[in-house]
Amino acid sequence: MGRSERYAGTAKLLLALAVGLMLFKTVLPQGMIRPPEWLVLPFADWINAVFAFLQNDLGLMAVTRAFSDVVEWLLNVTANLLYGKSRWPNLGPIPWSVIAVTAFMAGYALKGWRLGLISGGTFVWIALMGQWKWAMETLSVIVVAAPFSVTLGLVLGVLAWRSPRFERVLNPILSIAQSLPHFAYMIPVVVFIGVGPKAGAIVTIIFSVPPMIRMTLLGLKKVPEEVIEAGKMSGATRWQLLTRARIPTARSEILIGVNQVIMQCLAMVVLASFIGMPGLGQKLLQLLQSLKIGLSVEIGVTIVLLAVTLDRLTKAWALRLPVHEAASPSWLIRNRLLVIWLALCALGFGLAHFFPYFLEVERKQALSVAGPIDALMDQVIRLITPVTLWLRWFLITWVLIPMRDAYLWLPFTAVLLLLAAVGWAIGGLRSALICVAYFGLIAASGWWDRAMITVYMVCISVVIAAILGIPLAIWGARTPIRAGRILLVCDTAQTFPSFIYLIPVIMLFGVNDVAVVAAVVVFAAVPMVRYTIEGLRNVPPEMIEAADMSGATRAQVLWHVRLPMALPTMLVGANQSVMFSLFMVIIAAFIGTQDLGQEMQRALSSTDVGKGLVLGFAVAFMGLMTDHLITRWSETRKRALGI
Amino acid sequence: MTESVITCRNVSKIFGPNPAQHLVQLKADPGLSQAGYVHAVRDVNLDVRRGEMLVVMGLSGSGKSTLVRCLSRLIEITGGSVTVEGRDIATLSESELIDLRRSKMGMVFQSFGLLPHRSVLENVAFPLEMRGQDRSTRYARAREMLELVGLKGREDYFPRELSGGQQQRVGIARSLAVEPDIWFLDEPFSALDPLIRREMQDEFLRLKGMMNKTIIFITHDFDEALRLADRIAIMKDGRVEQCDTPDQIVLHPATEYVAKFTSEIDRARVVHIGSLVAPLTAPATGEPVAAYRTIRDLARQLISDPRVEIPVINDKGAVIGSVLRQTALDVLLGDAH
Amino acid sequence: MKSIKTLLAGATSLVLLAPAVWAADSTDPIMIPLHNWSSQIVMSHVVGDVFTSMGNSVEYVTTDSQAVYESIRLGDASLEMEVWEGAFGASFDAAVAKGGIHAAGAHNAVTREDWWYPAWTKEACPGLPDWKALNECAALFKTPETGEKGRFLGGPVDWLKHDQEKVDALAMNFAVVNAGSAAAIWAEIGAAEKTKTPIVVFNWTPNFAEAVWPGEFVNFPEWVPGCNEDPSVGPFPDKTFDCGNPANGYMKIAAWDGMKDKWPAAYATLAKVSLTNPQIAEMAKLVDIDGMEPEDAAKAWMDANPDVWKAWLN
Repeated sequence: MGRSERYAGTAKLLLALAVGLMLFKTVLPQGMIRPPEWLVLPFADWINAVFAFLQNDLGLMAVTRAFSDVVEWLLNVTANLLYGKSRWPNLGPIPWSVIAVTAFMAGYALKGWRLGLISGGTFVWIALMGQWKWAMETLSVIVVAAPFSVTLGLVLGVLAWRSPRFERVLNPILSIAQSLPHFAYMIPVVVFIGVGPKAGAIVTIIFSVPPMIRMTLLGLKKVPEEVIEAGKMSGATRWQLLTRARIPTARSEILIGVNQVIMQCLAMVVLASFIGMPGLGQKLLQLLQSLKIGLSVEIGVTIVLLAVTLDRLTKAWALRLPVHEAASPSWLIRNRLLVIWLALCALGFGLAHFFPYFLEVERKQALSVAGPIDALMDQVIRLITPVTLWLRWFLITWVLIPMRDAYLWLPFTAVLLLLAAVGWAIGGLRSALICVAYFGLIAASGWWDRAMITVYMVCISVVIAAILGIPLAIWGARTPIRAGRILLVCDTAQTFPSFIYLIPVIMLFGVNDVAVVAAVVVFAAVPMVRYTIEGLRNVPPEMIEAADMSGATRAQVLWHVRLPMALPTMLVGANQSVMFSLFMVIIAAFIGTQDLGQEMQRALSSTDVGKGLVLGFAVAFMGLMTDHLITRWSETRKRALGI
Repeated sequence: MTESVITCRNVSKIFGPNPAQHLVQLKADPGLSQAGYVHAVRDVNLDVRRGEMLVVMGLSGSGKSTLVRCLSRLIEITGGSVTVEGRDIATLSESELIDLRRSKMGMVFQSFGLLPHRSVLENVAFPLEMRGQDRSTRYARAREMLELVGLKGREDYFPRELSGGQQQRVGIARSLAVEPDIWFLDEPFSALDPLIRREMQDEFLRLKGMMNKTIIFITHDFDEALRLADRIAIMKDGRVEQCDTPDQIVLHPATEYVAKFTSEIDRARVVHIGSLVAPLTAPATGEPVAAYRTIRDLARQLISDPRVEIPVINDKGAVIGSVLRQTALDVLLGDAH
Repeated sequence: MKSIKTLLAGATSLVLLAPAVWAADSTDPIMIPLHNWSSQIVMSHVVGDVFTSMGNSVEYVTTDSQAVYESIRLGDASLEMEVWEGAFGASFDAAVAKGGIHAAGAHNAVTREDWWYPAWTKEACPGLPDWKALNECAALFKTPETGEKGRFLGGPVDWLKHDQEKVDALAMNFAVVNAGSAAAIWAEIGAAEKTKTPIVVFNWTPNFAEAVWPGEFVNFPEWVPGCNEDPSVGPFPDKTFDCGNPANGYMKIAAWDGMKDKWPAAYATLAKVSLTNPQIAEMAKLVDIDGMEPEDAAKAWMDANPDVWKAWLN
């Protein structure tokens, strides 16, 4: 208790200082309003020097090119098999009917009819909608990138588990890596690898490794001690222990890691179209650029379906518990699924041989729902234009421009003190120092104004997301059915490739910050809603019953029991909300912003590694600081609630 | 005296940041208690004889599980020495240690420690696989072991598909697969329901009767210890309070702590006639009683027998002495004094 | 039927050219970069199909339209079909200076990029396309974010179009808002079209947009070399940028230096390629208006214009 009171005292003092700086802004020296020149360090030049050294003097270029050649070779193999690119082994393309049947059988074998229909159906949809080649271009990269990531993640995870020192080094790197915006990864890859599918594959590999490392480490740490001891007492060597006891026992966590790798791969592979990755992402980009909303939505749906399929399949695989087979002497019965699969594949190959329709559905034969979607979109825009016009006027005039000016008006020293105050109030000196260090580095990067614009947009978006999302979640948490439906909408909204929202929001709001905020809110609201529902639904029923028996009204139960108990979970949601907003604000540079994202985009098109990474780190630091503060706060709350 | 298979001399185990240094400090100041250090095993001296079953009994936190892990070097000891079959195990290289475990030791765990991704058969065959035996040999041996523990027909099941008792049977079969000379059992039945526990104890006694192994059995259940043990080592706070036969522990508890344990016990069920035998003072008269019987077994006879002195015979039928009826009745009815 | 004809034509040319081709061109695929606007994609596929018909193998790779010159320089991509003076001149020149890339030919097309408005705007502001008339209509274009000034929607800042300088030099009552991407501009025009809202944006030709939304460029004081640097040049003697952009920029074809040696026949063909504004617009239209896939559009264009591409062959 005493500690937190002392925290509050110091925090108030710091807050007062910050307010003082703001009040006396007019008399402050320029060096306290904006980072003075001596403070701004040429990080970008340093990073560029390091990269130039790596690239030219160390000859790392040769290494990366060699690695990318291997990746390219593998990509060619999968490309040949999946969509018939004329490369070794020159066997493909595998008919879509065979792949759909295979997906169905995989789903059926792992979980049953429903999953079978979902996964088989996804591929049927892709084929019938005439998107086969694009989807296969995308998949051919995932098929290569995911195993690389998994292997790399497994090896690094095992190393981190073996050596606590390595873990200590790796952990902060992973944290930063997981909060770097996607584009920051792309620039170095463009420098070292170039553009095109292999660059797409490699950026995907790099991007998707961190969760695998984390899950491997977690899984290995969770292996019950007795299993290890049993292994040791069986006379297992260290290697035997690792490969036959630890890793298999950590199977579930490792497979969840695989699941996350695949999901990350899918997200990145779509975005990698910015560096020449062909496939669904590129097609989507082209369609959006020619304002073909309907066709873009079709591709968006395909991406969502693919994500759902891959997610469910790998999760089912991860959570599958081994079941013994009824002893049966017959090979045929024991391997009946294999036999059925082979038979169906043979059938598929046969059909494809005689009817090209089952090999590939041509664009001309493809179905499309684009027309109605476009018409609907048209109607919607026409209908709500008065509303959006008013909203645009209101938000810009009364909210966004004043807020933006306020953020830019703040002296940077006042911001640092303010953050120190918040940090101190939440976690004492350590948190205060962490906050100041992160934002101090941002100040020293020389991108202060742009960073403040990013901060302003993220803040506004998260607040709007909370205003919209939390009541929705409270309403949704009332019944399980409602909750399920809302969560489904959330999942879908989140799985849609992020840039699909960019064009509709421009059409609704025009090129301005309202459009940016609208696009970001979609992403920021999802975790907010999800975690609020989860938090509310997981309040122990005894507590609610106790409150009911005390004669509390529904509102009182909500306000005094459910929301306080759900708060720690909701904070996790808020944390993710900030993360998602940061990523989306960067992508929203394609609408037109003056923040870090715009500079990031420029760095990408001029392949300026140093600048790109500096901007990326600036964004990552904002995320990490929020993460630190919210995590600390949530822990304190949890401890106070005894959960 | 039979030879000792495992010898512990002044074994200590300290958990903490710098255990060795802490041990040195403790030598100087035995009462020292420092935050961050847990003295799990203190100065234990123990001899496990070939073919005997030693039960290490203690409440949770008494250091019994740590001690048994020191004996197999699953945990490195901080001080003292552990000798197995005449070799100080602390000096063994990693491969020698692995060899020792592969050929001489087997262990059963409280929560079974089965590998969840392997079938019952593959779990039992695991130690054989580690030794590098070929597939058919090790599966044949594993099947044999499973039949022994009564799990024939469950070979293809996975651990989670079995009940706790069945899982522990798998654990037992696995630990016996390599035909170990030394068999460690770490609270093997503690995680089981009372009824199953009883059944498993009977099963265990059956198995024990079929083989001649040195057994170290850990339990927190005094009844279980009395039921199974040749000798019992009672532990408290990392020390061995007393190590003796059940009869002696019940009859002559060495410390107050041990006495507290024994006070609740129906001694008549534990104490054998044999442990009360005194040399004959007069020629034996009347029907003798067998030394292996407990006082409880003979309760009716003791109460109604008019003799002051009852002759006792061993399992070969030879008279080895006599027991005073009064002494036996004291055990049966509680001390008069 | 048409594609069969194309095939036949391809086969004929193959026979005619066979000795030369087989004697020289490498079997490695020619890497043709694709960007995010349709005329370039279709044109690339047309040239790619011609190469294929000559027996070469071709591969398409999507790249950033600025970064592509670096890729060509390093040989990762082999050629670039549309080098726009205004948009990519700087990147191209920088790459040329570093070496490894050169202009293999030029299109018979002029490029122009400047302020532009769709047809319905003219109804609201009849004085157009004169810039003074536009300035007088500034209030028509005002938005919440630009207050009382009219809004001009420019391209991304990194296109460096000096719109703000132009507004300052000509003392126009406009504020420049920069879109983040070309797509953002199209989305704005698309939205404005639904309500026929007046709008003035940055646009260029040749471009699919002129086929979708008929419109005109704003007539600024004519471009004179030096008007962007020398205040005395142009109508206002004390201002720079007091003029429009050049109304006839070049559109070149770039190639990797190594292409000449590696695929001499293909290179010779490439050097002959030259397309006009209507031809390029036609390509864009097939995709953007007729909704064809770029691959199909290329085939359709070749079927419709056999004389054009056959002339490149020998």
